[in-house]
This record gives sequence, C-alpha cells and structure tokens, in this order.
Amino acid sequence: MSTDTRGGAAEPLVAVQDLVKRFPITRGIILQRQIGAVHAVEDLTLHIARGETLGLVGESGCGKSTTARLMARLVEPTAGSIRFDGEDITHLSGRAMQHVRRKVQIVFQDPYASLNPRQSVGQIIGAPLRIHGIEGDRRRQVQDLMEQTGLNPEHYNRYPHEFSGGQRQRIGIARALALRPSLIVCDEPVSALDVSIQAQIVSLLTDLQKEHDLTYLFISHDLGVVRHVSDRVAVMYLGRLVELADRDALYERPRHPYTAALISAVPQGTGANRRRIVLQGDVPSPANPPSGCPFHPRCPKARIISGDPAVVPENCATEMPSLTAVAPGHTAACWYPLVPGDDLIAAAEGMAPEVVEQAEEAATA
Amino acid sequence: MSEVLLEVRDLVVHFPTPDGVVKAVDGVSFTIERGRTLGVVGESGSGKSITFLTVMGLINRKSARVSGEVLFEGRNLLEATTEELRHIRGDRIGMIFQDPMTSMHPMYRVGDQISEAILAHRNVGKREAGARAVEALRQVGIPAPEQRARQYPHEYSGGMRQRAMIAMALVLDPDLLIADEPTTALDVTVQAQILEVIDELKQRLNIGVALISHSLATVADVSQDVMVMYAGRPVERGTRGEVFDAPLHPYTLGLLSSVPRVDVRVERLVPIEGSPPSLINVPPGCAFHPRCPYRFDPCDRDVPDLRDRGGGHDDACHLSAEAKAANRRERLDMQEPVT
Ligand SMILES: Nc1ncnc2c1ncn2[C@@H]1O[C@H](COP(=O)(O)OP(=O)(O)OP(=O)(O)O)[C@@H](O)[C@H]1O
Ligand SMILES: Nc1ncnc2c1ncn2[C@@H]1O[C@H](COP(=O)(O)OP(=O)(O)OP(=O)(O)O)[C@@H](O)[C@H]1O
Ligand code: SF4
Ligand SMILES: [Mg+2]
Ligand SMILES: [Mg+2]
Repeated sequence: MSTDTRGGAAEPLVAVQDLVKRFPITRGIILQRQIGAVHAVEDLTLHIARGETLGLVGESGCGKSTTARLMARLVEPTAGSIRFDGEDITHLSGRAMQHVRRKVQIVFQDPYASLNPRQSVGQIIGAPLRIHGIEGDRRRQVQDLMEQTGLNPEHYNRYPHEFSGGQRQRIGIARALALRPSLIVCDEPVSALDVSIQAQIVSLLTDLQKEHDLTYLFISHDLGVVRHVSDRVAVMYLGRLVELADRDALYERPRHPYTAALISAVPQGTGANRRRIVLQGDVPSPANPPSGCPFHPRCPKARIISGDPAVVPENCATEMPSLTAVAPGHTAACWYPLVPGDDLIAAAEGMAPEVVEQAEEAATA
Repeated sequence: MSEVLLEVRDLVVHFPTPDGVVKAVDGVSFTIERGRTLGVVGESGSGKSITFLTVMGLINRKSARVSGEVLFEGRNLLEATTEELRHIRGDRIGMIFQDPMTSMHPMYRVGDQISEAILAHRNVGKREAGARAVEALRQVGIPAPEQRARQYPHEYSGGMRQRAMIAMALVLDPDLLIADEPTTALDVTVQAQILEVIDELKQRLNIGVALISHSLATVADVSQDVMVMYAGRPVERGTRGEVFDAPLHPYTLGLLSSVPRVDVRVERLVPIEGSPPSLINVPPGCAFHPRCPYRFDPCDRDVPDLRDRGGGHDDACHLSAEAKAANRRERLDMQEPVT
C-alpha cells in the first residue's frame, strides 16, 4: 500500500462526505412535472489516499459512473461535499475550478465515442494543453506523451479511425496525462476492448502510475481486473457503498453478503466444477429502491438469520444499515455481517424466485 | 456410450467484399455430444457467430462462399432445403442470442410468442400450446409464469428476457442448444443464474449445448469440451481440463496468463502483444505468428494443421511437445499467486 507519509498525518487526495446524486424523473413535454427521482448515489462517504488505487465495483446502474462524474465535478451533487487536495471543491467555479480540472482527468470506457473523429491524434492529445494555455513545444510534448503510452510518435497526424481499439484507448490515456494530473478516474477503461488487448492497457496504467505518482479511481464490473490493480476496493449496490476493504481482505474475507455473492458469481476459469452462490432476482430499479437494506429481497444471509427463506429479519426490511467497521480498515453496511461457517450457497439455493419477487414487492410497495 | 449430435467438418465461410475476401471461417471442425457442453472461445471477429449461424442455415448463401459439411444425425445441413432447415431449427436445434431484445417481438406477449413456436411445429390446439408455454417459463425459473406469460418483453428485466429466450429455444425439446454469448449483456449475478439454468437443463434434458463466449472463464465454469478460435480457425480443442490445465497453443497460454483472476492475485499479467489480424489479410503461415513470442522458422510460411497431440487434445502450432511444455511451465510459474 502506498499511502503518503511525507506530511505527517497524510491527508487523502480526495474525500467525499455524504454525497448524494438524484436525477429527477419527469413527465410531460411542455410542463415537466417531477414524478420521482433516480437514486444514483446515496450517502457516499469515502476517501482516496495519495498514490493509491481505489477499485470501485458493482453491477450495471449501481452508480459507479455517477460517482466518477461527481468526483470530476462533471455533475453537481444533490447534497454532500467533495474535498480535493485539502480544499472543499463542492461548489467551486470559474478560475478556481479550472485549477482543479487540470488535476483530475477521466479515461472513459468507449475509446470510439470519446475521441473526436475529425481531429488528428496530435490535436486530440494536445487539446488539454491548448485549452489550459500550457507553454512549450506542443508537438514535442504530445509526441512524448505518445511515446509514454506506447503509441508511435510518427502517427501524430493520423486520425482515430486509423487506430485499433487498444490504440484508441492509449490515445485517451495520453490525453488524460497531458496536464500532469494527480487523480485519474478510469471508468471501465478496458471493458470495450478485446480480451487479448485488456492486459496491455492494464499494464500500461500500472506502469504510468509508478512513473507519475498517480492516484486512481478504477471503475470496472470486472472483478478480476479490479483485484489486479487495486490497493483497496469499494463495492456499490443500488447507489450505496456496501463494503470497503483492502483488496485481499475484500476478496478473501468479504463480510457483506452481496460482495460474497458478487465474487462467487464471477466465472473463475479454474477448469474445475465449482458451486457458487446464485442469487435469485435482478438488481432492483434505483428509481424505486427497496426499503431497509437495499439488498434484503435477495439476501441469503438474512434468511440464515430468520431460518425461513420467506422471511427476513425486521431490521433488514425496514432500516438502512450504516457503514460500520467490521475489522481494521474494513467497513460493511450490513446488520448481520458474514461470519465463518455461514453457508450462503445453501441459503441461496433454498430461495425460490417467487420468494425474492414477493420480498421485492413488499419492500417497494 | 457417447452420442454425437453434431459434427462439423472443415467448414469454410468466405465473404467476397469490394475490399477483398473476408475469411470469416476458414476450416473449422468439431463435434458436439449429447449431454455435454462445448465452449467456444475467441475474441471479437474470430468467426464464432458465423460458424454457428452457418450451422443453423442462417447465412445468406448468396453473399457467402460456404464449403465443408455440417452433419446433424448424419444429414449434411449445408445441402438441406429451406423447408427442412426450418423444421430442424427450433424443433431439433434451439438457439439463443446475446441480446434477447432483438430476438423477441416487442409487440406480442411473451407467452403468445412461445405458443406461436409450438403451433408452428406441433399439432396441438391453442389452449395446449399456451399451457406448454407457461410450463416452459416455469422450467427456466420465471416466477408466477401464468401472469408473466401475459406480459410484453419490455415488462421483463434483462435476466428474465434471457430466461424467456431459453424457454422459447427449449419448448420444442430440441436435442441441441446453441447459446451465442447468452450472458454478455447481463449483470454478473444474473449471468450466474443463466449459466446455472442452461447447465441444469442440459443435465435434466440430456441435450448437447454449444456455448459461445469471448470469456475463457465463463466457458471453463460450465463446459466439458472447449474449442479456442483465432482468426476463423480453431487453434486448440480438448476437454476443459486439458485446455485449462495443460494448454498447448501459445494463444491459449497467452489468454490464460493475461486475464486477471478473482480467486488469486498474480504478480504480473503477461499481455499478448499486438492486435487481432484483419480477416482480409490474414497473416501467412500461422495467423497468430506476428503476436507469438515463441515463433520460429516455419511459422510465417506454413499453416500449422490442427492435430491430435494425444488423447484427443488437438492444437495447431509448429512447436514441439517439449517446447510447449517448457513454455507452459515458464508462463504458469509467473502466474503463481502473490503471498
Ligand atoms: N443524466 C442522467 N439522468 C438520469 N438518470 C441517470 C443519469 N445518469 C445516470 N442515471 C441513472 O443513475 C443510475 C446510476 O447510473 P451510473 O451510470 O452511475 O451506473 P453505473 O454503475 O456506472 O452502471 P454501468 O455499469 O452500467 O456503467 C442509473 O439508474 C442511471 O440510469
Ligand atoms: N456479411 C458479411 N460480409 C463480410 N464480412 C462479414 C459478414 N458477416 C460477418 N463478417 C465478418 O466475419 C468475421 C467473423 O464474424 P463473427 O460474427 O463470426 O465473429 P465473432 O467471433 O462472433 O465475434 P464477436 O465476439 O464480436 O461476436 C468478422 O470479421 C465479421 O466482420
Ligand atoms: S443487512 Fe440484512 S439484508 Fe442487508 S445484506 Fe445484511 S443480512 Fe442481508
Ligand atoms: Mg458506468
Ligand atoms: Mg459473435
């Protein structure tokens, strides 16, 4: 783990507190009435230490990208605060915000959509330098960035369509590096790439981190990649942080039932037959999240506690468990964190799809 | 006794285009047995879908040059009439695709769509077909199937739509199920459900399954046999244990040592360099040679044959058995878990 110790008690590079983002759901074309809200991020509190990689995992729609965009201040939070490098940037604007923007960069999932097809690679990578009025020989700076990211500097005048998917992602990374940021938010940086290309990009990102002392928020639904790159890992479910721990603790001793099920669901490719925790039901809609613990309709641990697949404990169904320390540096938001001997496989097998559906209906009524 | 359901021999599918001939499938052979799952892996554009679309007779034969044999119960489907194919599809061979939204009609109730398939192939009344549709939905684990049958596809979640697709593919009791990336569009926890449903049905109904995926790990978890494809050809073929525990081909070895795992953390990933080739200008010799760290004299000249290296474990690579074993030891040493 690479936590900064230079300045005494190290201040984290990023700290978000009780962050909330809700997107209004409206109806009507001329007179738009708000009829509800998507709870994209709810009460998110976490920090990222200097030089570390914080992995962020969770299933589609759980709020990972929204978290990324909040941290980069690309969307306004509904509530809560964001501190960057010791400064409250929640409501910063204008010149002060410009300064922060240089320090926080995003690498996006889709290398095709995030590059302007009408600009040459040189223009794309050089754009941040131009916008922020950075002095110097721009061509040399850009070619240097191309070299660092494994692109041929002679391809300076080529256009995005002349590059493969992996190379386009390298272009996106070179652009993100141009302003010498301290935080790079990588939002699914390898998900759109061919399997054989993903490792190239992952290795590039880890090499660059060492060279430039970068801090990463690394978002992926691929739990294998996240285990490989992260120092600590955060797990989200329906907009909420449900568990956060050091990498190995999280993968080897998950305490939240959802984390355990998520890890167990990942195909492992070990070539051996393996039993896994198969959750019933789908991830519920963030527009109408279940009452109490958002995971309770699908949760096998809650059934271990109640002893009945059709029943969940009262607190799981009605009260949101807060994020609590379960071990040093390890927090989980669960009324009944996992303990050795909990047989989630058997408990999940005992749950019929109907039971989960009924629990969901009861919880979102 | 093993029973071969499907045997594909030397299948070739070439698409002539203004830019040149796209060699989408270029000599693919395999068999699928009853009660077993063949996992087919390969990266985007390696010819997985085209292979199985051709098996199903769903390739426009005017735009493609097709040769080889597709033997289903001894009959070569490449010579079958449209009418015969229509009967075999659905009735004997079921197919599910990556995106269930595109293969279900948005305007009709799910139950009616399944009944429709039954009525087209079976001599039963509407009422009976409806009852069978509900039963099929129940079989794939859809809660309250009587009510769900009356809903439209958009009222289903992604996982439920994929279950309904499986129900539709299996309602006529086919002998073979072809599943083309059935879980790629789904969440991880829902993927696990779908793989479980397919595996459970395979055992209970004793059918053969082809599971196509770009993920080696997905295939490893539920297949008995595995075929790895690269640039329109199989490069390795064997049982799951053979391919995963004793990979022969440098591409397979490359995939195994470049994909990070959830169960252990390895010190270093060893990426495969370069990118997949164009299928119009496939590299001469072994198509993988420009990216292969072990290439030597004949590789850029001679196309390696897919050959049995003992016990039905085949690969297509010029290296000697000793060299492959040494590469494997060296690579897998680097993959020792970090402690
Ligand atoms: N601009 C927006 N307007 C309305 N709803 C939005 C907006 N952006 C995101 N959402 C909703 O907020 C929720 C969280 O979305 P987000 O993109 O953060 O999820 P994610 O975890 O990144 O998912 P994925 O893995 O699919 O990328 C989703 O339900 C999404 O539909
Ligand atoms: N009608 C066509 N004309 C020309 N080329 C085609 C045609 N149909 C498919 N191809 C090409 O054939 C190749 C093999 O395609 P196929 O869909 O089988 O790949 P795949 O292995 O299934 O990939 P993916 O993982 O992306 O689904 C691709 O390069 C594709 O562009
Ligand atoms: S709080 Fe209850 S329902 Fe939620 S994860 Fe823990 S045991 Fe399961
Ligand atoms: Mg996202
Ligand atoms: Mg395909």
